[in-house]
Amino acid sequence: MIRHHPENNLLLEYAAGSLPWALSLVVAAHVQLCPQCRSQYQTMNRVGGSLLQDVEPQPLPADALQRLMGRIASAEQGAEQEAITAKAAATKNADPLFARLPRVIRKLVDGNEPLKWKRVSPALRMSRLHTGQERYEVAFHRIHSGGKVAEHDHRGREITLVLYGSFSDKDGVYGEGDFLVREPGEIHRPIATQDQECLCFSVVEAPVTITGPLGWLINPFLSFRPG
Amino acid sequence: MQAPESRDDDWSELLTLVGAQRDRAAFERLFHHFAPLIKGFHHSRNAQAFSAEAADELVQEVMFRVWRKAPSFDARKASASTWIYTVMRNCRIDMLRRNSRRQHEDGGVDVEDLWDEAPDNQPLLFLQQKRNEQDIAAGLRALPAEQSHVLEKAYMEGKSHSEISAELGLPLGTVKSRVRLALKKLQAILGR
Repeated sequence: MIRHHPENNLLLEYAAGSLPWALSLVVAAHVQLCPQCRSQYQTMNRVGGSLLQDVEPQPLPADALQRLMGRIASAEQGAEQEAITAKAAATKNADPLFARLPRVIRKLVDGNEPLKWKRVSPALRMSRLHTGQERYEVAFHRIHSGGKVAEHDHRGREITLVLYGSFSDKDGVYGEGDFLVREPGEIHRPIATQDQECLCFSVVEAPVTITGPLGWLINPFLSFRPG
Repeated sequence: MQAPESRDDDWSELLTLVGAQRDRAAFERLFHHFAPLIKGFHHSRNAQAFSAEAADELVQEVMFRVWRKAPSFDARKASASTWIYTVMRNCRIDMLRRNSRRQHEDGGVDVEDLWDEAPDNQPLLFLQQKRNEQDIAAGLRALPAEQSHVLEKAYMEGKSHSEISAELGLPLGTVKSRVRLALKKLQAILGR
């Protein structure tokens, strides 16, 4: 059962279309997994629909309809039907961790180069993803069964969606579908559950820093690459 | 007397006709009703997110998509105005994104992969659905001005909470709590 959800403010920014792309990506993935947030999202769409219905109408140029019907006619003649490029679900990954991804993440994986895992620390590996934007780093993180990630704080906001397995930190236990926001300055030390590996999707605003002794020496989080 | 929320049923029927029979007369009626609203949503006394010209272009693109996508409209899931809202929002995101995205490195994910136009919901009875729509519209009109103003800025001007807080000179926490209060009221109405 999903216990951690995006707050309503974030969901509303998503539904209103004002949330940056990378953050919208992780909210969308959660919404696809979570019936409760899906229904919230629908309510927020209805707010949009009601605002549209009640807005003060503005006159259009006299030829607006004609222009549109012209475009529709020529589109249909040229059979501008989208060649539905049913991309053969190029699932390059038979890994069970990736068996039940939300649709949007599945598509992102299929549209990216094959995942390249980089060892961040003994317990943690990451693989960056291209999403066509420049403000956030978007990546998968996987933690070994029982693996402990070095204590780190967040210089920028980090949003994590658990996709497989679970992990815990001092604040709680997070399982599949759970959505967590770590604000800048919060320090945490995630530990994966003993019996299975944990896969997370994360969107980070700015680099995180290791805070423990020698952190400066082994700071594997330093290389921040948005995309 | 104007009763826009009850007329929404008629628009949903027209939109269903457009989808099922490619009925141009029905589409033209939808256009006459919704196109000036789509423009007003982005450019009017209250909303200045777009110039008049840009809003006219947006109207063309949104209504073109409404025609193309009408076959996927399902009146059991959403009213015409809610569905057109989602098409319009996605279209706006597309237009804004086109200027900034790095086309070859976007992982092949489109706006519609992120914002479902017809999210699957728990099966809803049509009656229930219609009541929800009417209640939300009435609830919105009953909100205190400071709350509806913040919702309008978010939806119509596409502003984030922090942009709204900067613009109105309010602490971010105040903007957030106004949004939450407004939602709570709307949800209380739905939960009755």
